[in-house]
Amino acid sequence: MSDRDESQQRLKAAVHFTVGRLCQKTGEDNRRDFSRQVIASMAETAFRQCDIFAKDLEAFARHAKRSTVSTEDVKLLARRSTALSIYIQNRSEELNQEHRDLKKKNTGKRKARDTEEESRE
Amino acid sequence: MAEREAEIGFKKETVSKLLSSFFKEEKTKLSGDAALLVAEMLRVFVQEAAVRSQKQAESEDCDQVDIEHFEKILPQLLLDF
Repeated sequence: MSDRDESQQRLKAAVHFTVGRLCQKTGEDNRRDFSRQVIASMAETAFRQCDIFAKDLEAFARHAKRSTVSTEDVKLLARRSTALSIYIQNRSEELNQEHRDLKKKNTGKRKARDTEEESRE
Repeated sequence: MAEREAEIGFKKETVSKLLSSFFKEEKTKLSGDAALLVAEMLRVFVQEAAVRSQKQAESEDCDQVDIEHFEKILPQLLLDF
């Protein structure tokens, strides 16, 4: 098996694992198990859906004359369903807020450090 | 920072590697936040698949979610995404 095939197999296995866990949780909540065949099919479908996501994201980024896929591209990816679109936008906002909070914390630390050093001199 | 409860989901690194393997051009990269958002989308995709399949099984009075239940909901799922 080539290197590329090996890494694809590993990724497929990782996807399969998470799909299995999600199905297990859904099964528990509804007291209805998922057959192994369904989990395998779902994992395969999710894997293929990633291919579609990737190609779309790459096209969106290229259209915006960027080589790095951004959150804006992902928001566009979610356009077909209003609920999904809103969910992704909210999650994106949460991530932005986390970045802002982190920046404030670091700036605060730096200011405190600078003031300390000044008073020592 | 808001604490997220331990939700089952796809790892950022897995999603990054996965998407990168499907990009057609070498120069295409993925931002960290974008990877996290795609991980969310993938999780929602799988959850929808699971819940819809389970509801289909329920409507057919079946004890277990089988492949035919998944096959029946798949077309609409793909159209919705």
